[in-house]
Order: sequence, then C-alpha cells, then structure tokens
Amino acid sequence: VKKIEATKYTPEIILDEENGVIEIKGKSYPENTFEFYKQLMDWLDEYFKNPAKKTTFNIELIYLNSSTSKFLYDLFDYLEEKSEDNEIEINWIYDEENEVAEETGEDFKEDFEDMNFNLVAKED
Amino acid sequence: VFNNDILLEIEEVREKTEKLFNKLLKDVERQKKIMLRADKRQKKEYDELQKKLEEVEKLQIAQRNLLESFIKLIANAIDTKSPYTGGHCERVPELAISLAKKVSEDESIDYELKNEKELEYAAWLHDCGKIVTPEYVMDKATKLETIYNRIHEIRMRFEVLYRDVKIKALERILSGEDKEEVEKWQKEEFDRLTKEWEFIAQVNVGSEFLSDEEIEKLKIISSQEWIRYFDDMLGLSWAEKERKEITSTPSVEKLLDDKKEHLIKRDEKISKIYKKHNFKVSIPELENNLGEIYNLSIKRGTLNNEEYFRIQEHIMMTIDMLESLPFPENLKNVPLIAGTHHEKLDGSGYPRGLKDNEIPIEGKMLAIADVFEALTSHDRPYKTPKKLSEAIKILFFMAKDKHIDKELLKVFLKSGLYLDYAKNYLLPEQIDEVDINEILEKLEQI
Repeated sequence: VKKIEATKYTPEIILDEENGVIEIKGKSYPENTFEFYKQLMDWLDEYFKNPAKKTTFNIELIYLNSSTSKFLYDLFDYLEEKSEDNEIEINWIYDEENEVAEETGEDFKEDFEDMNFNLVAKED
Repeated sequence: VFNNDILLEIEEVREKTEKLFNKLLKDVERQKKIMLRADKRQKKEYDELQKKLEEVEKLQIAQRNLLESFIKLIANAIDTKSPYTGGHCERVPELAISLAKKVSEDESIDYELKNEKELEYAAWLHDCGKIVTPEYVMDKATKLETIYNRIHEIRMRFEVLYRDVKIKALERILSGEDKEEVEKWQKEEFDRLTKEWEFIAQVNVGSEFLSDEEIEKLKIISSQEWIRYFDDMLGLSWAEKERKEITSTPSVEKLLDDKKEHLIKRDEKISKIYKKHNFKVSIPELENNLGEIYNLSIKRGTLNNEEYFRIQEHIMMTIDMLESLPFPENLKNVPLIAGTHHEKLDGSGYPRGLKDNEIPIEGKMLAIADVFEALTSHDRPYKTPKKLSEAIKILFFMAKDKHIDKELLKVFLKSGLYLDYAKNYLLPEQIDEVDINEILEKLEQI
C-alpha cells in the first residue's frame, strides 16, 4: 500500500495494489497541481504493469481548483485507454449538499460515457 | 500500386489529423466546462464571502455596542455609587474628546486625534478603580465618620442613665450643702464642657486648618477621665473583638482616645499587586486608623493618611484592572491614558511619578478635563460650586506649578472650549467674567 498524507492544500492518496483500490480524498488546490499528481501517475504506470483483477477509483474531493479538473480529465483519458484491457470502476463521491462537487462529477460522467463512472451521493 | 500507397498514406494522415482535431475540439470543450465550473464556483464563493463579511461587520458593531455599554455601565455605576461625584465619569469623556479635537486643530501643538475611540474609552474608564474605593472614604464628610457599630452609642446612653440614678441619690444624701457654692461650680463646669464640646464638634467638620496649638488643646480635652461600668465586649463582631483589649469594669476611660482596637491591619495581597506595577507611592503600614484623637488631629480636610492613600488607590486599581483586559491593537493605550491622569509634569504626581515627557499627551488632556470637571461641578453637597473664573485661576496655578500642561491649557482657553462647556454644564450664577487674554498672557510668561 502506497500513501500520500493529506495537507491543507492536497488530498490524501492511497494506492492499494493488492485489492486494486485507489483513493483520493480531501481538498485539492496545490500551487502546482501537475507536479503534485505526477507521483500518482508514476505509481499507476507501475501498477498497471501488474494490475489487480478489478481496479476501483474512489475519488472524494470536497474542493478542487481548475487545474485539478484538468488533471482529472487527463487521468480519466489515461484510464479510458487502460480500460481496454482492465476492468476499471470510478466512484465520484460527493456530499449531497456540495452542489459544486456534484456538478463537477456530472461533467466528467458526460465526457466518459463509455466508462463505468458512478456518482455516489453521501448523506451527512 | 503507387497510387494506392499514396492514397493509403493520405487516408492515414487524414485519420490522424481528424483524431487530433477531435482531441483538440474535445480539449476546448473541456476547458470551457472547467472555466464555467470555476466561474460558477467563484461566484458562489464570492457571494458567500460577501455574506460572511456582512455578518462579521454586523457582529462587530454588536460587539462594539456591547463593549461600549459595558464601559458606560461601569462608569455609571461609579457615578451612581457616589452621589457627590454624579456625572463625573460621563462629563469627563466629552470634555476630553472636545479638547483633543481643539488641540488637533491648533497648529502650535503637533498632535492629531487619530484614535478617538481609544481616548473615549480611556476617559470613560479613567476612574474605574473607584469601584473598589469604600464609600465611607470616598465621601468621608467629617473626621470621625466611619462605618460604625452603634452599640457603642447605645451603651453610652446606659452609662448616662446609670449616672442619673447615682446623681439623684447623691443629691438626696447631700441636700445639706451650701446651695450657692454648688450651683456656681456646676455652672462653671457646664460652661467649660459646652465650650470643649463645641470645639471638638467644630474640629470634626474639618473645614478649617488645624494648628499645632489646637491639637494640643484637643489632647488636653481628650485626657479627661470617666468611669465605664458596663461590659464593652458585648454586641461586637468577631473582627471588632479581635482588635479589642479586654478590660474589667469599672474601668477608667479617656474622653477621647487612640486605642489598639482602632488599628486595622493592611491586606498584604493588594500591596503585592502595587509592588508588581512598580508604583512609586509609599503604602501606609495600616489599612486604617480609626483612633479618635488621631482622626480629629487631621490638619486639613477630613481624610487621614491611610484614607488619603485609599483615595489615591483608585488610580492604581484602575491601572491594574485595565491592564488585565485584552485590549486589541487599536485600543492598547487605554490603560496608559486612563492611568496617567493623576501624573504631574514635574514628577510629583501618582502613582508612577512620571515626568512631562513620560506622560502621553492624551493623559495630559484627560488630566485637564478631570480637574476642570471636578472644580466646576455643582452636584457635590459638601462644597459650594466654584465660579468659572476661580476654576480657571486654579488651572493657571496648576500650569505654573508644572502640574498640568501649559500648552494644552492655552488651547483649552483660547479655543473657547471652557466657555462652551460652562454654558452646557455650569449653573448660570457660576459663569462670571473671565479675562482670558490676561491669563493667556500670563501663561506665556511662565
């Protein structure tokens, strides 16, 4: 299991290779988003060399900046490519009162209609 | 074959270009979405921020109102506590702020009233330490006045009744004596006692200076003896009993006396607070001395040394209280301003004995407001209200003696502020003709 601890500006990231679970949880507005997420991309390149049977992404971002949105589009493009040979599920988890998080998730779902992309509302 | 190859290649390039084009198109669409999403979020955040800001502002106003009401509550409590100084804590801030505004306008003094609230709060709170000054000290009107257990007076009446019974018996027994002789003696004794009583009573009022000869006379009168037959340990509180020496009856007593029971010990806890603040005042050994001769011997006024200190204590209490409050940056000088209004330019003031350049200008202005209000107030029953000219004359001499700031006094006079204030708060009969130019000229010559 690999892990990046959450900071005031960045989310907690956990990669559980054995169970094929990746979690991104918290806030995401780093000063340099692409630099911050490079670590995750390196881990994923490594992971997909020998992936689990099924790979699940649980993404729960209560606050994200524009460049994080851009990064996520790139991430989902990357996963769309990988889904040709892998079973990949993406769960976009949001607080039911967080309208912005919900709408952001809807944008992604719309763009990746061929993928297994779920919007998961969380009750308080 | 050649044609086919070219066609295939063209087809490949076309496909690639189309893919790239679609990708770019998609990216543009995504960028748009991201931007719109960001805009929407930004608007929401800004609206929320705006709302929060309004709430914070409302809360700030509410808190400031609460703080101000609290400050006024303390000031009013002090004014209410002593009917003799009623309104003082309310009039001083007004006068101090007005003076600060006039001084700001005056070009001769390099001062600008930047922080009105700070001065206002300091002025409202300048006497807040008086909340712990006992009323019997603050308003002590005669030398013998104190919180008093009237059991002593009641016992004295019993003493007198007992004497009446005894005298009656003696009269009967001695009915054979020369009547004229006895009556003459009795008249002389009565006249002497009357005069002595009138003297003591006059001294008690303390309206006139007491000379050393008069103190001697007081001591001679006091030394007359009488015999107490009743137990004076009855009807006392434990605190009073603790101070008292047990005597057996009948006991020879002096007409007026200084006794052990009159000495009240000082609470060291409070002395420690004063030492912590480095106040340059000498603290009397005793909390108070209720001795009858001791108090009647007060040369000027009605306060003994211990009580005079008690009055001065109010400013030390003011400083200790205000310094314990967490004033924010914009009000951080409130304790300093409020705590320097009894300092004098020549260093003879209290409680810190600060000199001219060590006293903040706001403290100096507050001192003038404090003195002028006290001099001209007409709600103190123990003194006749001063005329405006008398009050200004006293201010002049205070400036001459380097007790108050001469330049500030000049502004107070030449701006006409003294007259505006007088018209608002003084009785018409107090306002007399004042030759301000003459006083300004004299101030110039100091």
